Amino acid sequence: MNLVEALEILKKAALENEHPLRVVLACGFTPLHLQTFLMAHLRKRLPQQRVELKTGLYGDLAGSIERLTASKSDVLAVVIEWQDLDPRLGMRSLGGWRTTDLPDIVKSATEAATRLEQALRRASESIPICVCMPTLPLPPLFSTPTQRAGEYELQLRQLVGSFAASISRGSSIRVLNSQRLDESSPMHARLDVATDLMAGFPYKLPHASAVAELLAALIQNPTPKKGLITDLDDTLWAGILGEAGTEGISWNIEQHTHMHGLYQQFLGSLASAGALIAVASKNDRALVEKAFERRDMILSKENVYPFEVHWSRKSESVQRILKTWNVGPEAVVFIDDSPMEVAEVKATFQEMECIAFPNNDYQAIWDLLKRLRDFFGKSVISEEDAIRLKSIRGAEILRESRDAAGGTLDDFLRSSESSIQFAFGKQPGDNRAFELINKTNQFNLNGKRLSDAAWKTFLNDPATFLMTVNYQDKFGPLGKIAVVLGTVEGKKLRVGSWVMSCRAFSRRIEHQSLKQLFEKFDAEEICFDYVATPRNGPLQEFFAGLLGVAPDTSLRCSRADFGEKSPSLFHRVEVMNG
Amino acid sequence: MDEMENRLVRCFSSVFPDLSAEQIRAASVESVPAWDSLAAVTLVAVLQEEFGLQISLMDLPDLVSFVAVEKYVREHNSAS
Repeated sequence: MNLVEALEILKKAALENEHPLRVVLACGFTPLHLQTFLMAHLRKRLPQQRVELKTGLYGDLAGSIERLTASKSDVLAVVIEWQDLDPRLGMRSLGGWRTTDLPDIVKSATEAATRLEQALRRASESIPICVCMPTLPLPPLFSTPTQRAGEYELQLRQLVGSFAASISRGSSIRVLNSQRLDESSPMHARLDVATDLMAGFPYKLPHASAVAELLAALIQNPTPKKGLITDLDDTLWAGILGEAGTEGISWNIEQHTHMHGLYQQFLGSLASAGALIAVASKNDRALVEKAFERRDMILSKENVYPFEVHWSRKSESVQRILKTWNVGPEAVVFIDDSPMEVAEVKATFQEMECIAFPNNDYQAIWDLLKRLRDFFGKSVISEEDAIRLKSIRGAEILRESRDAAGGTLDDFLRSSESSIQFAFGKQPGDNRAFELINKTNQFNLNGKRLSDAAWKTFLNDPATFLMTVNYQDKFGPLGKIAVVLGTVEGKKLRVGSWVMSCRAFSRRIEHQSLKQLFEKFDAEEICFDYVATPRNGPLQEFFAGLLGVAPDTSLRCSRADFGEKSPSLFHRVEVMNG
Repeated sequence: MDEMENRLVRCFSSVFPDLSAEQIRAASVESVPAWDSLAAVTLVAVLQEEFGLQISLMDLPDLVSFVAVEKYVREHNSAS
């Protein structure tokens, strides 16, 4: 994006959202065109959202962060340059570049980094922060020739690396990836000496746009995809299994098919981070099973579920996989080497990301892996990520066991050895609870999503409560699967958000959750901020089943009513107070 | 209006979106309240991008009206 394009975007009338996204840009230099580009990139990424952008005080980066009023902003974008660590590392200061000054520059940079880190940590308790570490070349102040990295220069780079690693722990502070920036903005084309000295703005325009574009992506923080459906022949491996046989397919250096091995390795990485992987292949089932038994297979069959291997249409396979996973097509990526299959699936599932595997094109496969990382990337890997696939398999086993047992649901639940842990502590680092609220659709009281800032405001409000629910039974753990947010008003509770993962349906966890709310707060009545959404049918069915009438906006449930109408509950319950 | 004048009007319009093409051609630092130092630096950046010129910020004091900017760009554009 060039500056004229950015200004053109900003010329268009802003939307009149009730709740604008309030961004604060803090940098030590004059924000000038960086501010313009950031606004324009945010407008482009968030066309339905009004964005307001404020900037900090010129020359005082740490002070701008320390003075931040969290209640007046939703996200903080921080751009650090070398001169913020010590003015002598910029050009506008003439504080001295003598060799004897170098140890002191490192020392004062260390102190400045410490102050910045403290300010960032404090601010991150209230709002999410996106940080760009120094992007400009260091000035030629070191005694070594420029092709040689000297001791003090390396110490400064180590300082910045350690600083970035330290603040990136946890999920509140998102650090911009310098390698990604290197790809879009070469180092030699970043510094504008003239505008730095004349206007206090050190970036060339393309660099300002590149930094702003990545910051906007960090601010948007898109929801990761949940699952990937892959083809097998000439995709997961090279060769046609039905023709070449299990020993004829390959993914190795010797046969120049190594990129398929890298693809398998990448899928293994996604699976280990909680992404669901399934196979949709027109193939012979027995042969596929045999292929997955090969000892050199990089992607374990344990990481793949389900396998849809037959000769029916791919879109039918995809439909069944979505049903098993219980996720929508918008949360899934489909990959197949056949453009025809890709088109067939895309025609059925418009919202799905459908990609043709670029067989035999090394660079394109490499680029595909990077694109997939962007689709599935997440800041924190939770316990639930580790057990997601296991719990989906467990749910399938549970369904099959229930069907096979043939007894009543009560009999089945009684024998399932279920235990539920209810926790009432408000943990700021509870990303799973926040994630559940923002991605659950089916069992969702009102479809309301929370921004990072709104989540932190909720946690800091002493009048609110948060209940999280962990579940496990003899079929395996489901992890943290439900969240209730609300307020206590004497003997009455008001529930503002209630979500439960679809993996936890049919276990009466929702009934047990209400029971615990009544008991914990000694409440006589619970009022719900219910809103019907196109996708919260399961929640509507639950209330209709419990109360005997379809829910409406005045939804409430008294303790007496609940006691009378709740079915039998067989869970072992543990309550943890915050 | 020739092609260069068109491009100049477009540049001015991106920095001063509230001005009409006619107002832009008559614009000067005195007549346009929004023409402050920030707008001046932005205008220079836009002109550099549009015409591939290197405009020294030292020349800013001379670029005080549309007419002056047009003259500057015509001279430096033909020189480059």
